Amino acid sequence: MSSRASLGTEVRNVAIVAVLFAVAPLVVLGSSYYESVLAHLLLIALFAVALNIVFGHTDQLFLFVGGLAGVGAYTTALLADALSISAWVTLPVAALVCGLIGMLVSYVSAKRNFTVVLISILTLNLQLVFSEIFVGARDITGGSTGFPYEYFSLGVVAEAVGIETKLVLYYIVLVLLVATLGVYLRLVHSKYGIAFDAIREDEVAAESIGIDVVRYKTIAGFVAALIIGVVGAFFARESGYVLPGGFTFLAVDVIVLIVLVVGGLRTTLGPVVGAVIVVGIEEFLSSAQSLQTWRTAIFGALLIVLFLYFRRGVVRSARDLVADARGGSTGGNGGSDVDGGQ
Amino acid sequence: MVTASTLLGLAVDGLAFGVFLALLGVGITLVFGLGEVLNLAIGTFAVLAVLVATVVVQQGMGLVVAAVVALVAVAAFGLFVDRTLLSLVYRSEGEDRILLGIFTTLGLTVLLDGILINYFPSRYTLPLDVGTLSVAGATLTGSSLVIVAVGTVVLAAVFAFLRGTFLGKATRTVFQDERGARLVGVNPRRIRTLIFVLSAAVAGLGGLVFAAGSAVAVSNGFEFTTFALIISIVGGVRSLVGAIGAGVLLGLVNQFANFFVGSYIATIILFVTAIVVLLARPEAIQ
Repeated sequence: MSSRASLGTEVRNVAIVAVLFAVAPLVVLGSSYYESVLAHLLLIALFAVALNIVFGHTDQLFLFVGGLAGVGAYTTALLADALSISAWVTLPVAALVCGLIGMLVSYVSAKRNFTVVLISILTLNLQLVFSEIFVGARDITGGSTGFPYEYFSLGVVAEAVGIETKLVLYYIVLVLLVATLGVYLRLVHSKYGIAFDAIREDEVAAESIGIDVVRYKTIAGFVAALIIGVVGAFFARESGYVLPGGFTFLAVDVIVLIVLVVGGLRTTLGPVVGAVIVVGIEEFLSSAQSLQTWRTAIFGALLIVLFLYFRRGVVRSARDLVADARGGSTGGNGGSDVDGGQ
Repeated sequence: MVTASTLLGLAVDGLAFGVFLALLGVGITLVFGLGEVLNLAIGTFAVLAVLVATVVVQQGMGLVVAAVVALVAVAAFGLFVDRTLLSLVYRSEGEDRILLGIFTTLGLTVLLDGILINYFPSRYTLPLDVGTLSVAGATLTGSSLVIVAVGTVVLAAVFAFLRGTFLGKATRTVFQDERGARLVGVNPRRIRTLIFVLSAAVAGLGGLVFAAGSAVAVSNGFEFTTFALIISIVGGVRSLVGAIGAGVLLGLVNQFANFFVGSYIATIILFVTAIVVLLARPEAIQ
C-alpha cells in the first residue's frame, strides 16, 4: 500500500528544497520584511511536520500545537532568566518538558483506547489550560502583555559572520527544518513507518501480529511534541516578543491543520508545500487593505472546503498528475479524496 | 466574613450561569448523540443569536420580540447548515465522519467569526431591566432569576418533547439504535435535521441568556464552544440529563470559585474538571 517514493528519491527532494530555501533570501534582496515572511513560513512548516508525525501517521489528533509551542517558548525564556544562563542550554530542557507532555498524553490515550475524538477533546482542553496559565500567571509570564523575546544571542553570531540577525535566525530555522525532515524520513522508512501504517490500518490486527501499539503511539507523541516545543521557542524569537495570544488554538492549530492538509497528510514535503501556499495566501490578503479584514473568514472557508474535497493534498495530487502524464498506471487511487487517499 | 445572604446571591447567579452552560451542553449533546457530529460551531450559533437580537432591539423592538426573532433566525441558519454542510459530512461513515464533522464545523466557526467581526466589532449586551429582589435579607439579581425560570421552562419543554411526542420518541430511537429506528420506519436523516435545528435554537437561547448578564463579542464564540464541550464531557456526552446536571453543577462551582479564588483559577477548574472526567471514565464517553 505504500505509495512512498524510495528513501533515496525522498532525500534528494529534501536536499533540493533545502538548497532552494538556502538561496531564497538572495531572491528577496535583503528585504527584512520578506526575510521575516520566509522564516515564518519555515516555522509553520515545522509545526506541520510534527503534526504530520502524530496525526498523519498515528491518527492522534493533537489540538494543542499552539499550547505546546507556548510551553516551549515560555519554559526556554523563563528558565534562562531564572538561572541566568543561555537559552541554548534551557531550550533542550523545554523541549524535553514538551516531549514528556506529548508522551504522557499519547500513553494515557493509547492505554485507555481513546478514539481520535477523545484525544482531540483532551488536547483541546489542555490547550485552553495552557493558554489560561500564560495569561493568568502574570507574575512569571507577564500576563497578556508578554515580554520581549531576544534570546539565543543571535546578534553575536550576526556580527561575527557579518549578516543580519534576521538572517541568522532564518538559517537556524532552515537547519532545524532539514534536520526534522531527516528525522521524519528515518522514522517512516524504518520499522516505525511500517508499524505506523499497520496501526493506522487496523489497530487490533497490528496488535495481533505483535506490534506494541501503545509504545509506537507514545513514541510518535513524544517526537512530535518535542519538535513543537523547540519550534515554539524560535517562533517567539522570530516575532521578538512573546504573547499568550500568539499561541492560541485559533492562531496556531487552525493554520497548521490547513497547511498539513493542503500539502498532504503523510507526505514528506507536504508541510513545506502547504506552508508556501498558506503563507502565500496570507501575503496576498495582507497586500490589499480591503482583503485584510476577510483573512479569518477565508481561512475558515478554506478549512471546510479542503477537508470536504481535498484531503489528498497538493503533493499527492501533483504526483498523480505527473504519473498520468508519463502514462503510468498508478492513477488507480484517483478520486479517492473521501478516504484521504489511503 | 461572607454572610449567608451573599452566598444565596452567589448561588442564584451561579444557577443562572449554570443554565447558560446547560443550554450549550444540551445543544452539543443532542447533535453528537444523534449523528456523531461534534458541532464545534455551537458557540458561534449562540453569539449569532445575540447579534440578531441586538439588531432587532436597535430597530426599536422589545426584548421579547428580539429574542423570538433571534431564535427563529438561528434555527433557520441551523437548517441551512444541516442541509448543506452536514449533508456532505453524513456521506461518510464512522471515524471518517467524526473527523470530517470536527473539521467542517471548526471551519464554520472560523468562517462565521471572520465574517461577523467585520459587521459587529464591539461587545453587545441585552440588558434585562428587572432590578433586584430582596429575599430574607439577600439581594438577588433579577435577571438571574428570570434566566433560571426561562431555562427551566425551556429545558423542561425539550424533555417533554423527547419523552411525550411521537417525534421525540422517534428521536430517542435513533439515539439508541440507528438500524432499529430504520427498521420501524424512522428516517434518521430527517430526525437529525430536526434535532440540529433544535440544538441551534437551544444554543441560541444560551447566548441570549448569557447576554442578559454580560457583554458578548464575536470572539466569545469559540469560548462558548469549549464550555459546551466541557459540559458535554462531564455530563457523559450522550446524556441530556447529565449535560443539564453538569451545567448547573459547574455553573455553581464556577461562580463560587470566581468569588473566592478569582476568575483565573475558576476557569482552570472548569477545564481541569473536564480533563479529569475524560481520564477517569473515557468508556462512558465513547
